[in-house]
Amino acid sequence: MRYLVLAAALLVPVAAQAATPTADWPCIQRLQPRLSLGQAWTGPTPPDGAAIPAETAALAERLVQRRMTLDEAEAEIAAFAATTDAEGLALLMQAVFHRIDTQRATIIQGISRYGHAQVALAEQVETRRRRMAELEAADSPDFDAIDAEERALDIDMRVFTDRQHSLTYVCESPVLLEQRLFALGRAIAAQLP
Amino acid sequence: MKHALAILLLTTAATPALAAKVYVSNEKGNDVTVIDGDTFEVLGTYPVGNRPRGITISPDGKELYVCASDDDLVRVFDPETMQELHTLPSGPDPELFVLHPSGNPLYIANEDDNLVTVVDTQTHKMLAEIPVGVEPEGMGVSPDGKVVINTSETTNMAHFIDAETFQITANVLVDSRPRFAQFSDDGSKLFVSAEIGGTVTVIDPATQEITKVIDFDIPGVLPEAIQPVGVRVTADGKKVFVALGPANRVAVIDGETLEVTDYILVGQRVWQLAFTPDQKHLYTTNGNSNDVTVIDVATNTALKSIPVGQQPWGVVVAPQ
Repeated sequence: MRYLVLAAALLVPVAAQAATPTADWPCIQRLQPRLSLGQAWTGPTPPDGAAIPAETAALAERLVQRRMTLDEAEAEIAAFAATTDAEGLALLMQAVFHRIDTQRATIIQGISRYGHAQVALAEQVETRRRRMAELEAADSPDFDAIDAEERALDIDMRVFTDRQHSLTYVCESPVLLEQRLFALGRAIAAQLP
Repeated sequence: MKHALAILLLTTAATPALAAKVYVSNEKGNDVTVIDGDTFEVLGTYPVGNRPRGITISPDGKELYVCASDDDLVRVFDPETMQELHTLPSGPDPELFVLHPSGNPLYIANEDDNLVTVVDTQTHKMLAEIPVGVEPEGMGVSPDGKVVINTSETTNMAHFIDAETFQITANVLVDSRPRFAQFSDDGSKLFVSAEIGGTVTVIDPATQEITKVIDFDIPGVLPEAIQPVGVRVTADGKKVFVALGPANRVAVIDGETLEVTDYILVGQRVWQLAFTPDQKHLYTTNGNSNDVTVIDVATNTALKSIPVGQQPWGVVVAPQ
């Protein structure tokens, strides 16, 4: 019974206002596949096809790394702002947006694979459980086979449960990237002339 | 300049009691952040039970009500001391509620049970359970206190409920996943936001007919990010503010033409809104950036962001 509950847990939302988790999107957060620049930026829009200077791209690359604190990021942005104009800042924002949105989309694809792997594992647990029941119901049970199946079942269960616990953190990753984008957007906008 | 500063200091010192306190429920932090509405400083953060969401205050400012969703009850606090006074029965998973303009009773949406629970705030007793549509959520009350509105997220309806008989008198079909219902102060318009539909439906409460469906189009923002939730209308009916969720914007609508005039960038996943009593400022809760934004109502500009607790959800400002 507990295996069934475990398998079902994948598809049960835990928050009333949340999304309904599926194998494609096993998170309670509502899926928003791509971000848009306007969610974090009301400054000028760079001209279509404008090239991003190498220095701007390099700065964007550093800014999106979460190991850089926001204070450090703000200082780097301020130093950059002293050397450029509004269009230069807009290009920086565009470069930051492109990097974070791409990274986030890759993570979302990974979460989908994670969700499908969990469903497959839940099915495997269910198959093992049925096999155990069959082995136990035999007229002369093969206890070695039952022990082997039980060990395999325990391992599958442990992996499933560990992954399920990690899901909370995995699902937070896109949100953390959105937060980073918004904070960088604010910091860049603060430097607009 | 020195004299002006001295006068300002004198004025500030002489009127501390007039500072409007702002109360923000933090869904993930399990607490309420209290902000001084004059200085924008955080005065304190207080535990209020599990998963606080809906928050409101009595008209006399003496009782602060908080939906403690995971405790399945409403907790009532002294807004001055933030000490818990008592609890109210709410039915399971209370999310949002509305207080009758007189301060009694309290109408609570129970999402899991498809009910609206009516609770007497004086006797602390449940008065009625009203069956409504599937996943009730938004709650509104007409300024004369005669009509209560509930929106049901799955049925996609605004239910008109007689405040005395607790009977449903009309149902109006709106767009997908209606989240919030707000009357204009003169009672002539009812605004219902639809989170998935991405619209606000304007209903004439007298005839229960839809007069307009307002769409939102923000340059540079994908349509699926536009998810209207909280709605507030200025007392003169001239401006309507709508929180647009993950679009991170608050839309400003002309209350007469019902056309969108502005989009204000605030914080991430902007959810609920509350005016200060003088309606100079509008506070927005930003669930993902863990802050509130203060909007200047006259100029439609974001004045300041104030960090609060984890996942701010609801906001209410004490009356003066």
